[in-house]
Amino acid sequence: MSYLFDPDHWEWVWTGNNLRFLFEGFLVNLEIALIGIVLSLIFGLLLALMRISKPRLVSFPAGVWVDVWRNLPLILIILYLALAVPTSWRQAYADGIPEFFPDALQDELVLGAILGLVLYNSAVLCEIMRSGIQSLDRGQFEAAASLGLTYRQQMRFVILPQGLRRMVPATVSQLITLIKDTTLISIIAIPEIIGHGGNIISAASFGGGVQAPLLQVYLMIGLFFIVINFSLSRLSRRLEIRERERTGTTLKRVEGLEDQVALETDVAAPPR
Amino acid sequence: MTELWEVLTEHFPEFSSGLWITFRLVAFAFVIAMAVGTLVAALRVAPVKALNRIGGIYVEIFRNVPLLVLLIIAFSGFPRAGVSVGQWAAGIGCLGLYTAAYIAEALRSGVFSVGKGQIEAALSLGLTYPRTMRRIILPQAFRTVIPALGSLIIAMIKNSAIVGGSLVALPDLLNRTRLVQSRTFQTDEVFFWGAVGFLLLTVTATLAFRYLEQRFAIRR
Repeated sequence: MSYLFDPDHWEWVWTGNNLRFLFEGFLVNLEIALIGIVLSLIFGLLLALMRISKPRLVSFPAGVWVDVWRNLPLILIILYLALAVPTSWRQAYADGIPEFFPDALQDELVLGAILGLVLYNSAVLCEIMRSGIQSLDRGQFEAAASLGLTYRQQMRFVILPQGLRRMVPATVSQLITLIKDTTLISIIAIPEIIGHGGNIISAASFGGGVQAPLLQVYLMIGLFFIVINFSLSRLSRRLEIRERERTGTTLKRVEGLEDQVALETDVAAPPR
Repeated sequence: MTELWEVLTEHFPEFSSGLWITFRLVAFAFVIAMAVGTLVAALRVAPVKALNRIGGIYVEIFRNVPLLVLLIIAFSGFPRAGVSVGQWAAGIGCLGLYTAAYIAEALRSGVFSVGKGQIEAALSLGLTYPRTMRRIILPQAFRTVIPALGSLIIAMIKNSAIVGGSLVALPDLLNRTRLVQSRTFQTDEVFFWGAVGFLLLTVTATLAFRYLEQRFAIRR
C-alpha cells in the first residue's frame, strides 16, 4: 500500500507532458472506437434486415454469418486480420483515407483493427436489433400491412422506429464494450493508450525525466476508461428510464450479449 | 483442402493442449466469478446502504475497465509493489473478477424479480432473513438468471483469449494458434482451426444453456 500511495510514484502525473501524452493515446482509442461504432451500426442494421427478411436464401446465410462472427473472440479476429489483410487493401486504405482524418488513423495497420471491430460488433449489434424488432407485437406488422404500406414503408415508419428505440440501452452497453475492446489493438502494435503507457514507463527508466511506475500508469489508464464508460452508461440509463415512462415497454434479452444484464436490472428493480 | 487437414494433424498437440487450457481457464475463472459475483450481489441487495455502495463501486470498476488493463495491472503492476502474481493466478483472477461484476448484476436483477410478496410471505411465516434468502429467494433467482449466466459464460470464453494474447501469455488456444502460425506461416489454415476450437466451446455452451433454460428456467 505504501508503494501505491507514495507521492514519488505519482509525481509523473503532473510532471512534463506525461498525462497529455497518455490522453493523446486515449484519443486514438476513441477515434477508432467512433469509426467502429458508426460502421458497426450501419452494417449491423443491414445484417438485421437481412436476417428478418422473408427469402431464406437471404436470411439463412446472414444468420450463419452473424452466428460465426459473434461467437469468436475479437482478439482472434483482429490478430488474423492483422496478418491476413492483403497488402493491396492496406495500400488502398492508406491512399484512400481523407487527409483531415486524425494522424493515428492514417496508419495502414489500422485497417485490420477497424475491420475486426466492425466484423465482430456488427454481428452482435445485428442480434440486438433483430431481437428488438422481433419483440414488437405482431399487431404492429399486421396493422402496418393493413394500412396498405409497402414492406419498405412498414419497416421505415412503423417497425424500425419502435424496434430500434427499445434496444437503445442494449446498444449503448455493447458500444461500451467496444470502447473497452479498442485496447486490444495494442496487440497489433498500433500506438494507442496501452502503447503510450508503455512509452511513458520506458522513457522514465531511460533517464528521460521522472520515474513513472508501471502500476500507477496503468491504474491511471483504468481511470480514463471508468470516466468515459461510466458517463455513457449513466446517459443510457437516463434515456432508458425516459423511454420506459413514455412507452411502458420493457427490455428484451439478447442471447450472447455480455452486458445486457446490467440493463435488465433497472427494469426488474422495484423502486426502493 | 489437404493443406487444411495437414495443419491440423501436424499440429494437433498444440491445438488440443491450447483448447484444454482455455477450457480450464474458463472453468476456474467461472468458479471465482460465481463466488465473488454472489457475494457482491448480496452486498447490493442487503438492507444496509453502505454495503450497497461498496457493491456498486465494485461493479462500476470491474465493468468499465478493459480486461487487458486489469491483466497488465495484476501481472506486471503488482510485482512492482512486491506482490508477485503468476500466469494462472493473473489469468483466472482477472477473468473471474471481471466477470463477477456482470454476474453480480445478473443475480441482483434475479433477486428483484422474485417479488416482494414472497419475501413478505416467508418472513411472516417466521423464517429469518438469511433463511428466506437461502430457501426462497436465491433458488428462484438462480433459475431466473440461467439465460443471463449462459450469455456470460460465452462472453467469458471469448474474453479468455485476451489472457493468452496479452503479455500474460498463458499457452491457451489463442496463444498456441499464434505460435503455430509463426512456425508455419499458413495463416488462413491455422486461424481457421483456432476459430473452430473457440466455436466448439462457445457453441457447446450455447446448446448446454439452451437445454438448462428449457429444463429449469423460470420465465417472467
